[in-house]
Amino acid sequence: MQLKKIKGQISLAACALLQVTSPTAQAEDNQWDVDSAVLFYSEGDGRVSAFEPAIYAGRDLEDGDRIDLRVVVDALTGASPNGAHASSVAQTFTTPSGNSSYTTKAGETPLDETFRDTRVSLGADWTMEMDRLSRLALGANFSKEYDYTSLGISASYAHDFNNRNTTLTTSLGFNSDSISPEGSIPSEFMPMVNKGFAQNRESDTETKTITDFLVGITQIVDRKTIVQLNYSFGITDGYQNDPFKIITVVDAAGLPATGAFDAFNTGDLPYVYEKRPDSRQRQNLYVKTVRHLEEDVINFSYRYYWDDWDINSHTFDLKYRYQMESSYLQPHIRYYMQSAAEFHTHNLALGTDVNQTTGKVQVDYASNDYRLAESETLTLGLKYGIPMGDNSELSMRAEIISQAVTDDNVPAGEEIPDLDAVILQVNYSFVW
Amino acid sequence: MRIICLLFAIGISGTGCSSMGVEPWERDLLAKKSMRLNADYLDNYYDEHIYFSKEATSGGQGVGGGGCGCN
Amino acid sequence: MTETRLKKEQDCWRGSFEVMASPCEILMEVDDQSLAENILKAVSAEAKRIEQKFSRYRDNNIIFKINNASGKTISVDDETTRLIDFSDNLYRMSEGLFDITSGVLRKAWKFDGSDNVPESERVKKILLTVGWNKVTWKDQQLKMKPGMEIDLGGVGKEYAVDRCIQIVRDMTAESVLVNFGGDLATTCPRRRNGFWSVGRLITGKEHSVALFQLRKGAIATSGDAHRYLIKDGIRYSHVLNPTTGWPVIGAPHTVSITAPTCIEAGMLSTLAMLQGEKAEQFLKLQEVDYWID
Repeated sequence: MQLKKIKGQISLAACALLQVTSPTAQAEDNQWDVDSAVLFYSEGDGRVSAFEPAIYAGRDLEDGDRIDLRVVVDALTGASPNGAHASSVAQTFTTPSGNSSYTTKAGETPLDETFRDTRVSLGADWTMEMDRLSRLALGANFSKEYDYTSLGISASYAHDFNNRNTTLTTSLGFNSDSISPEGSIPSEFMPMVNKGFAQNRESDTETKTITDFLVGITQIVDRKTIVQLNYSFGITDGYQNDPFKIITVVDAAGLPATGAFDAFNTGDLPYVYEKRPDSRQRQNLYVKTVRHLEEDVINFSYRYYWDDWDINSHTFDLKYRYQMESSYLQPHIRYYMQSAAEFHTHNLALGTDVNQTTGKVQVDYASNDYRLAESETLTLGLKYGIPMGDNSELSMRAEIISQAVTDDNVPAGEEIPDLDAVILQVNYSFVW
Repeated sequence: MRIICLLFAIGISGTGCSSMGVEPWERDLLAKKSMRLNADYLDNYYDEHIYFSKEATSGGQGVGGGGCGCN
Repeated sequence: MTETRLKKEQDCWRGSFEVMASPCEILMEVDDQSLAENILKAVSAEAKRIEQKFSRYRDNNIIFKINNASGKTISVDDETTRLIDFSDNLYRMSEGLFDITSGVLRKAWKFDGSDNVPESERVKKILLTVGWNKVTWKDQQLKMKPGMEIDLGGVGKEYAVDRCIQIVRDMTAESVLVNFGGDLATTCPRRRNGFWSVGRLITGKEHSVALFQLRKGAIATSGDAHRYLIKDGIRYSHVLNPTTGWPVIGAPHTVSITAPTCIEAGMLSTLAMLQGEKAEQFLKLQEVDYWID
């Protein structure tokens, strides 16, 4: 027999035998897999709360391709710390617009009450089967909120080796973000000016780019265990300040140094806008394993992160899926700890960090964003899922997040309250 | 009886894998929906978003996913 | 009635029974137990029906009638006609390599791992009763020389898988996987992300299993690592070339192929084995997904 392509002829013969017109046409009855959810997030005490509906849909296309789409809306209200620290006296701050002010009572953490935003995020991935052992996925994402726009693309290539026992993945992602805060971009390290006066402002918009590279390997160790190991490297370039965050300037007694910026129309406001480096190099090692027990499933991941801002973090995440008759219960515990950024400071000292005469800040970078402080986060959660008929599943999730700044050097009087947040989520997945 | 057996099933998605020392038709263990590396897709999306806005560090699982003014 | 077993797995029903000397399994992504029971019943009944009708080990079916016709002309029914027509097509496509009359060669060849290679005279003699070109096949009438036999075992199991898939598709829109001793097919992709994981024993490596994902369509495997002869350092696979009467040399141990239907996959893997050393070359030409070892 000559070596020749006879697949087509065999296919026709098979059609005749099975009395069908086309054997391939039968299998193309693809449907959308849809997962929808709403999430309610609350930090309580008038701080941030969020309502976040999301929908994900994916379906198989011809020739082994697949498309996945995602829409998420994120409605936020509430207040977040503005960076100044609590004081034994009442403190007054100018709003970002420069037109009004707000006052924080003695002993309370100053919060910027004006925080309110709605974010819409769209994502799409298209996965193509390149040949029998490799796949290429192209992705795009876009998000828009009142003062922030993000546009990103990504590409990911996966290749199977070793009798398809091992999959090697390389991914590249690029994001271009811009921020246009209310009242424009505050001038770095310049004082907050009293309301009604010309504010220290720069351009309307600042930008940053985020480039990420990832290599990963996935392996099944044995019939019950899958392990994934990723290394990623990323560079963020451009404006990385939080434009709404300020730092308190204190005197030798540790009290807000009212009068430090007499030359700047500050009134008595002793605050400067923060300044962070405009470049950040991030690295991650991530390992995840999923293991099947008798009926239940354990899902564990660990991440080690480090960057050139001197921040490193450890994240442990454990989920245990307890399988019941048809429904399941899934407890979740997550523990996170991070070190502080090199330039994180609780305040700036007049005379050393800030020139007493000129009011110029004399350090390279500084921020009192609590998120750059040494901290830990503990999350405890529980999820319950139950099938609803042949095609759908309903699940509910409740989690409690407790975050605490663990910095031993918190100055007296500057109390950083723990953050306690609650997540409630309902999912409904179905085929359409 | 044939010794070669292709067999057991239940969908694992994403990646190919190996396994040793088991008879494939004995049990389906591996590769249920709950065994996927990206199980709970929307939960993960939410979590990444929340912790991105509350913590200084992020990433590790993949690239892209969209920026946010929340950090 | 075939003995069947039904078991609830975490996310599907697993039905099992034995037919055609093979363990058979169906995995059903349905929630309703009575639907699962009905599917299992229908599939096992169809598999049993096909076995009874086409097995060459029975003495009361059409195959027995044909093989014991002693030169007389036999009329066959529609289904048998389609199977014989299909085999006739394959015979011509493969230039004689696929031949349903080759079964009598088993009288000479016993693939038990020994060095028991038959005398070439014996093979030559048996070969006189082998050859689809010696058969008269027209208008559902089959006439063979006395001593000739046909065996539809080479397509029977794959045909049964595809038939059962057709039956199940009429019963449910959910994904069902039908697996008859390693030849398997799905009705449609699974609900979420679409895969059935399929394990493939890697021959030669003890207890090794490779897993891969079957989204849709079928997989069939040819070859058997435990059936061969070795003499003078030559490994004779159990795949016989009906034109020579001798085993194919250099054939892979096993070949697995995916295709839209189990029959296509099965025929391609059988023909690949018959190519011997050129099996992989042949498979590459077909542009199919395959595993070979």
